[in-house]
Amino acid sequence: MTLSQLSLEARQVDPSLPLLEVDQLVMHYKIKAGSVSAVDNVTFTLHQGEAIGLVGESGCGKTSVALSLLRLLPQNAQHISGEIRLNGENLLWLSAEEMRQRRWKDIAMVFQGAMNSWNPVYRVGDQIREALDTHYRGVMTYAEQRAHMEKLFAAVGLPADMLDRYPHEFSGGMRQRAVIAMALSCGPQLIIADEPTTALDVIVQDQILKELKRIQADLGMSIVYISHDIAVIAEVTDSLGVMYAGNLVEYGPTADVFARPRHPYAYLLLRSTPSITGPRRKLAPLQGEPPDLLNPPTGCRFHPRCPFATERCAVENPPLEDIGGGHKVACWHWDQVPELEGLQR
Amino acid sequence: MLKFFIGRLVQMVILFVVFLSIVWLLLQLMPGDISDTLIGNPDIPMSVRLELKARLGLDQPLLQQYITYITNFFFRFDMGVSFSRFPKDVSAVLLEALPRTLVLFLSSTLFAFWLGFKTGKLIAWRRGGRSEQFLIVSGVFLQTVFYPWFAIVMLWLFGFVFGWFPIGRFITAELWLGAPFEANDIFGRLIWTVVIASVAYGIARIVIGRVAKDLVTRERLAMLLGLLVVAAVVGYWAVNPAAKFAWDIVHHTILPVITLGLVAFGAIMLLTRASMLETLGEDYILTARAKGLPDNVIRDRHAARNAMLPVATSLVLALSFVIGGGIVTETIFSWPGMGLLFLQAINVSDIPLAVGALAITGVLALVGHLVADVLYAVLDPRIRIA
Repeated sequence: MTLSQLSLEARQVDPSLPLLEVDQLVMHYKIKAGSVSAVDNVTFTLHQGEAIGLVGESGCGKTSVALSLLRLLPQNAQHISGEIRLNGENLLWLSAEEMRQRRWKDIAMVFQGAMNSWNPVYRVGDQIREALDTHYRGVMTYAEQRAHMEKLFAAVGLPADMLDRYPHEFSGGMRQRAVIAMALSCGPQLIIADEPTTALDVIVQDQILKELKRIQADLGMSIVYISHDIAVIAEVTDSLGVMYAGNLVEYGPTADVFARPRHPYAYLLLRSTPSITGPRRKLAPLQGEPPDLLNPPTGCRFHPRCPFATERCAVENPPLEDIGGGHKVACWHWDQVPELEGLQR
Repeated sequence: MLKFFIGRLVQMVILFVVFLSIVWLLLQLMPGDISDTLIGNPDIPMSVRLELKARLGLDQPLLQQYITYITNFFFRFDMGVSFSRFPKDVSAVLLEALPRTLVLFLSSTLFAFWLGFKTGKLIAWRRGGRSEQFLIVSGVFLQTVFYPWFAIVMLWLFGFVFGWFPIGRFITAELWLGAPFEANDIFGRLIWTVVIASVAYGIARIVIGRVAKDLVTRERLAMLLGLLVVAAVVGYWAVNPAAKFAWDIVHHTILPVITLGLVAFGAIMLLTRASMLETLGEDYILTARAKGLPDNVIRDRHAARNAMLPVATSLVLALSFVIGGGIVTETIFSWPGMGLLFLQAINVSDIPLAVGALAITGVLALVGHLVADVLYAVLDPRIRIA
């Protein structure tokens, strides 16, 4: 990798080539009471220049997937099986040192709650420079680093002199912009955005998402969005994955999943949100609670809450199957799920 | 910034006047005065004691004595004459003892902070394991041990059983008999070399901070500079004709410093560990890891730097320990410093000397807190004074 990679110009993108392949990933957390099945058999592919989203409620494993991609999981996390391939290279096989060198340079991350992702005692510019020093030691002079950072700040709409300020002098939105600038600093191919706008108000949220989308298009980057907010994800992603209790239960083009959710969980989730533009309809809240992952339900993990469940669901876990047009569902009865009414996308 | 300092200075002066008045009044509440210490001596008749009282002004009304003392203190910068060491001035007696106490406390505090912070940081970073358990148990022991007992055990073990260090006192009297140097001079010169070296190091670090922009080179240069300064100080004293005498003083200093330092070390290590564990859970540590920074950089530059803030606070609060701990330490090690002086003054009702000793302690505490405020601002940009 050379300096030209850092020039903030569009990368050549071939949308048919896979960038990131997550293949049957299984991950457990070891705790005193046993092992928590946090990620179970998750498979998806992200192509160059694509943006995908993972949605689901708290504790469904979406952040565990995100952190797996960077291998930043806590010590008690264990990869049981599966592969994570970036450009064909299995990240799980790399040594700790090799993985460290990949971080930020190949895969960067925009964390949730930008409030706390800055170290309060260092200037923002110095914290970005630290990433450059780590991955491009001796490649750039001090002045070149400064120029590069000023360009980054300009790209996210921040004045250059903010580089010399401390994090507490930034507003929430500015801090998130600066986080994005830092994520871009080493020219990564992939950015993982974990709840990038959670702590922000809707106006700033919208600005940040538009900014991210524009930057992604401009630089030919790929992004994995992680959020519990379907509206956020819908706006910026090409594909959408719905996670439930550690499983990826539905995956497909965002528009398809929104218009015709085929998994009962995705369907009920969308039914429970009101539509502002569509006709009035009765909201149907989702009954029950997510399962205890120490002892996940047998068969399909959603079956205790599922109105379409049959005996088979309690015994056999449905595979994620393509039902046409890249739309995949893990449900034995996906064809029984009714059409969504009145939800306009 | 200037406004802040002026405000603080006025505050400190007012606080000091109040402090001094209370201390003065409290010491007057002690029963008897210096003339009563002569009561058991049959050769000194009542009239002589009354004469002594009158000469020292102890027969005047309390308010009159107070006004005299305060005016002398603040307008003539005169702390009076020591009763027990007549006719020596209180300020002269104090000036002799102060550096010894300061050296004892500053070096033990620095030693404790350096070692405690380092070990606390490491055991928090590598959680689990035998060494952590051992250090936690030792830390709790040192923090809770009955200090006078601990000091005596240290003295017995290292002074008597192993014989590595002299048993108490400030110098070896036999060595200094007929020596061409004055012990206080050598001690003063030792202090000055260390002070000059520290100031030079500090200035050079600021210059490095301005010149070397890269964090890594900055740290390397600072370390090189530190080694250079230490080498210069040691080198200067090694070739000095007074080397033998200087070493004698240093040799006497080591054990009390280590003993006092170990006790503080336990507390600082445990606090650093707790603070570090809390810091390691912060989001910016995850950011630092995601950035692909090497482990030691995450540990030292991100976690430890923030974990230092509460430790610095506790150090300042420990300032109040100086006089209390000083009395015990200096008595056990026969260290002729402020604590021992204060104790002796109290025993013979030498009120000017006792008040003087406490006044110096008060000034130290006030200055210490001011330094702490500045230190916080340096350490944490969020509380930097606008």
